[in-house]
Parts: sequence; C-alpha cells; structure tokens
Amino acid sequence: MEVKPNFTKDILKIHDIESTVNAICNNLKNDILKVLRRKGGIIGISGGIDSSVTLALAVRALGSDKIKGLMLPERDSSPESLELAKKLADKFHIQYEIEEISDALDGLNCYKRRDEAVKKVFSEYDPLNYKFKIGITPNPLNPSLPAIFNATIIDSRGEKNSKILPLAEYLQIVAASNFKQRTRMSMIYYYAEKMHYAVIGTPNKHEVEQGFFVKHGDGGADVMPIAHLYKTQVYQIARYLDIPQEIIDRTPTTDTYSAEQTQEEFFFQMPFYLMDLLWYAFENNFDAEEVGEVVGMTGKEVQSVFNGFVRKIKTTDYLRMSPIKY
Amino acid sequence: MEIAIMQIEQLRNFISEITFTDIDKIREDTLIFEEGIFDSLGFLSLISFLDEEFGVEVENDELNEVNFESINAIVAFIAKKKIIQ
Repeated sequence: MEVKPNFTKDILKIHDIESTVNAICNNLKNDILKVLRRKGGIIGISGGIDSSVTLALAVRALGSDKIKGLMLPERDSSPESLELAKKLADKFHIQYEIEEISDALDGLNCYKRRDEAVKKVFSEYDPLNYKFKIGITPNPLNPSLPAIFNATIIDSRGEKNSKILPLAEYLQIVAASNFKQRTRMSMIYYYAEKMHYAVIGTPNKHEVEQGFFVKHGDGGADVMPIAHLYKTQVYQIARYLDIPQEIIDRTPTTDTYSAEQTQEEFFFQMPFYLMDLLWYAFENNFDAEEVGEVVGMTGKEVQSVFNGFVRKIKTTDYLRMSPIKY
Repeated sequence: MEIAIMQIEQLRNFISEITFTDIDKIREDTLIFEEGIFDSLGFLSLISFLDEEFGVEVENDELNEVNFESINAIVAFIAKKKIIQ
C-alpha cells in the first residue's frame, strides 16, 4: 500500500524530470502516429508558457519536421504574443504560418456583438477610445461565494470605470468573445486536415479541470499532452526544455480583450504556486489544517477554497462532457 | 412583514427556476452557496433579479456571505438597501 506523503511546499516538484519528459514524448509519439494515425502535429502557439512547452515536447517527440506552428492573432492580441511565438518557432526550427483572424471575426460580427453589449453597460464606451476587459471581483479567500464578473473600461488617460456585469450583457460578451477561440480552432483544423496532422492541444491541468477553456474552441484538440501537469510543473519542464526566458518570465494573460488582463485576474484568483498546492491537496484529500500550516492560511480558509473547487468542477462539467448520445 | 414573506416566495421561485433545484429543497435558511445550489452564473442572475424585481443595485463591496448566504440574508439585505435608498 502506498504511504501518503506529508504535505510540503515541494510536493509537486518533479524529481526525475528527464523520465517525466521522456514518458510524455513517448506517449505523444505513439498517440499521434499509432492511435490517431496522423503524420505529424499542429499547434496553435501564442507566445504563452503552455503552448511553448507543448510545442517543445512535440518537437522532441516527433522531430521538428513533423510539427507545424500556427500563430492566430486578431485585433486585440498583444503584439508581444506574436513576437514571442516567432522566437519560439525559430528556436525549435519548426515551420509556421501566421493567420490573422480579425477579418473572419468581423465577418461573424464578433467585435460588433461584443461592443454592443459593453455599450449597454457603459454608454460612453467607444472601442476606438477605450480599452475593455472582464475581470473577477477579487475575493480569493472568501470563495464560498462564486466569482462575479466585472467589466472594466479604460480611457486613453488610463482612467478606469468598473461595473458588475448584468447577466444578459455578460453572456453576450462571453459568447461573442468565444468566436475568437472557435475561429482559431477552425483554422487549426484546416491545416491539420490539409496536412493529415493531429491537433495538439495546449491546456494544462487547471484549465481542463476547472473549466478555463472554450468548448469547441481551445478545448478542441486530438491530444492534450500537458493536461495532467500543474502550472508549476509546466514551468519546471519549460526550464528543462530551454524555452526562451522571456516566455518563462511573462505573466500568463488571456490575450482576449483589448485591455491587458492576467489569467489570475480573469479566472484563477490566486497565484499559480498556491493554486497548484491547494488543488493537489484537494484532489488527494489532505487535511485542511495541515495544508493551511504549509501555505500560511487557516484551515477554515483552505476548506473554503476546497468548497470553491467543488463548485467549479460541478459548474464546468458541461464543458468537459461529450455530446449526450441516444 | 407581509412584504418579506412575498419576497421570500419570489426568491424561492426564482432560485428554484434558475438553479434547476426542487423548490422544496430551498428553505429560507438554506445556505445556497455552501450547498452548491448556486454557481457564478446563478449569482449573476440573482444580482440582476434583485435589480429588476426590487430595484436593488448591488455594489462590489456588498458581495459577501452576510448579504447572500441564504434567502433570509438576501431579504435582510434588500430591506437594508431600501432604507439607504
């Protein structure tokens, strides 16, 4: 019988990183060539840590000649994302394509539908003069209440105005914004089918299990090689695989709205190292008091975070479900 | 008092409808968040409902357990807001 280890801050550290990386690469090679029966893999690369590590693993598994990168910027993307993605592609010697998707999104009225909803909340909003983002009301240690989304507009002088989003407007903004991920998915599958390649998805463990992805958008892929990895483990592998330091140092963002917005601000509500430890403790039924002593929280606060996790899993089950078939 | 009773019934019906929960399981003192009845979307719906039905606008700093943990808490919150308004 396996003995449960003591809960420590280092509990998620990968001790034999080479074996871990080799195991992922062996699985990935087998899954793409034998299970999916495709000639190679295609990855949407954003200049973020997850897609960078996924790309590096894929190159190690299959060779750079069997991996293609796709950059899919749009009007609201940070220019830095494209620059870092190019740098990554060059470093790992892969071929890549840049597909600007703003025109496709215009065709779907993505921006128009989104801005129409924003304007209902802020009558002064004009996308030419304001930046916009959605964020969560900061409440990291009181997660017994679900997160509430706020909209924020920022004018050219940096003046901010934030409001709780009414339900109808929130739904419309999210639905319109999700065109971005779904358009990217369509384009990635275009290249995948054209080349007889598999689509390699890039979400990490938190994104999959907490539902931080768009169904049939960035959640649409044939294989997800880092879906079992905690974020700190992704960073550990990034350093081992020699991912460019600028990518490692970059704060993870959503790169979805015109105003800059971190993933912590938008969804996770706590730093990744803490999220990793608490999620691990939750999954492995560690005692809240024991965990609290290690992470500097009270047992009650930890239990409250655990309760939030239960709710998150329950309310995002829909995203992970396959169609119900009769 | 009668107003409070009416509000309780309105809230029970609303919560039952929005969360797909049997109305008999929703009492005035049910801890609606702890028992996993509400998610983010439900919470947002509730805030919109308070605005549309009772003319109560919720501020960011009012989003806490004291104001929202149960129907009783929400009714007390509505009363408090009405006095301020």
